[in-house]
Amino acid sequence: MTNSMSNTEFVTNLVESKFKVLSTEVLDKYQVSFEVKKEDVHSLLSLLKTSGWIQLSYLSAVDWPNDNEFELVYIVFNWDKAVHIQIRCRLDRETASMNSILPIFPGCKYYEREAHEFFGIKFPGNPDHEKQLILEEWDDIPPLRKDFDPRAYSDRKFSKMEYKNDFVNKNGEVSKQDARTKRYDDIDKLRTGGKK
Amino acid sequence: MKEMKLFLGPQHPGMHGNASVHIYVDGDIIKKSFLLPGMLHRGFEKGMERHSWVNNISLIPRVCVVEPDTNEMAFAMAVEMLAKLEVPERAHWIRMIILELARLSIHLMAYGGLGSPTGLYTMMYHAHTDRNTILNIFEKITGHRVYHQYIVPGGVRKDLPVGIEKDIHSFLDDLESRYEEYRDLGINNPTIQARINDTIPLPAEVVWELGVTGIGMRSAVNKPYDLRKVKPYARYDQVEFDVPVAPYSDAYARVDCKLQEVVQSIGIIRQCLAKMPEGDVRVPISRGQAMRWTVPKGHVYACVESSRGEFGYFMVSDGGTNPYRVGVRGASYPQGLLGIEKYLPGTRLDDAALWVDTMGVCSPEIDR
Repeated sequence: MTNSMSNTEFVTNLVESKFKVLSTEVLDKYQVSFEVKKEDVHSLLSLLKTSGWIQLSYLSAVDWPNDNEFELVYIVFNWDKAVHIQIRCRLDRETASMNSILPIFPGCKYYEREAHEFFGIKFPGNPDHEKQLILEEWDDIPPLRKDFDPRAYSDRKFSKMEYKNDFVNKNGEVSKQDARTKRYDDIDKLRTGGKK
Repeated sequence: MKEMKLFLGPQHPGMHGNASVHIYVDGDIIKKSFLLPGMLHRGFEKGMERHSWVNNISLIPRVCVVEPDTNEMAFAMAVEMLAKLEVPERAHWIRMIILELARLSIHLMAYGGLGSPTGLYTMMYHAHTDRNTILNIFEKITGHRVYHQYIVPGGVRKDLPVGIEKDIHSFLDDLESRYEEYRDLGINNPTIQARINDTIPLPAEVVWELGVTGIGMRSAVNKPYDLRKVKPYARYDQVEFDVPVAPYSDAYARVDCKLQEVVQSIGIIRQCLAKMPEGDVRVPISRGQAMRWTVPKGHVYACVESSRGEFGYFMVSDGGTNPYRVGVRGASYPQGLLGIEKYLPGTRLDDAALWVDTMGVCSPEIDR
């Protein structure tokens, strides 16, 4: 693809002339990202599909708890124009729900199921989106949300094994456990620069 | 006849890794089927959010067990896009050598794996012997056999060892001399041909519906839709190679494309060794502590052509020491989940393992 630079310009013109785009970013000559409103996503995806972006490469979400929002990401690709397009939109975090894009891209079925499982976003229109896929009998908040803490979950879920020291250290010898604690503290210091 | 439920896997010679296909059969015709993933879910995406950018280098090769280098490459490309790092010229060529050696190894492994559903185990032993030679070369270059952690953001970890060109050339010559033998053993063999000719064909319109990429797509749509050609990364625009395609995608065509790609990969590695310039192989990513290295804000998607299709990393940075969100687009996600659910019904029970093998369904990257 020799004139890829003009391909990104073509995409930008195509989308910006028909939709109200909140922000546009040309990442390199093979990738453009658009941030649009939730209502525009379906018509934008249909437009892109009729213009040649027939492959849905990826669909997922990002959690932004400080804004109380989820960000949905759709990535589509055109093999002839060689441009990946990211389409992002924000959803309210409490009542996260987005109409499924199943009629436009049938390949989204399992991506949406996964997004529901890991973020708790509902996809009305996708018949199976609430079935469990990867996490069997999950009993906590969806795990890829930022407020889910894996360490607290495993402490709560699994019983802790009690270790006993059945030997006495000689005078002046550092026990293995103390050495390990010190090593972890050192690593933390290294990472945070001495700040806690 | 009464419908019956059967399980293909997790312990089955035709299944790779830990996933199982649930199949409802009537006689030996599949009525309904679906993949049950999740047995190998290790929480990579959450784990990556909790480790620093540099720590993650040792985590990402584990995403796909048999093909770790494409993971490293896609991760490194995504971080380089975010941090706007310029990779040294020599590092690009070394990366290509590593990626193509990995492609050779996985194509050989998949071709050998065809032995199990078709019942011809000789092929498998030959293929695994050659894969072992590739792993020996990897060990000399990177110090590791399977998970190399060699392609890192900013280049490669260290330069090629002195004299490795000789090893690579002698391996390539050896493989090339036995290439016809491989074909005779496998797809030119009448028993195998009777088994894989016209088995589970994949029409072009189904490809777009499922979102299949890689050999599955190229053999169906008859166009060279390869990310190395369409959207060249590293220095793939400076080497000459063909993308094997086929007008009709059955199990035979897909295996045939795989074997033709082996020849192309051999050619690419030879060109890389000839054209590779001297110089640095890595740019330093941070001036002080790598553990405290931060990456500018942004949302990027970087993808590479793996042996099974488009393998991508979607990455979000909030400017901190850890990635904010990493999403992995497994190359076999569409054919593994939706393909098995929508496309296997109607075929025969013994063809399910052939679908898994020729489409390269890799359960670790579906689970993550």
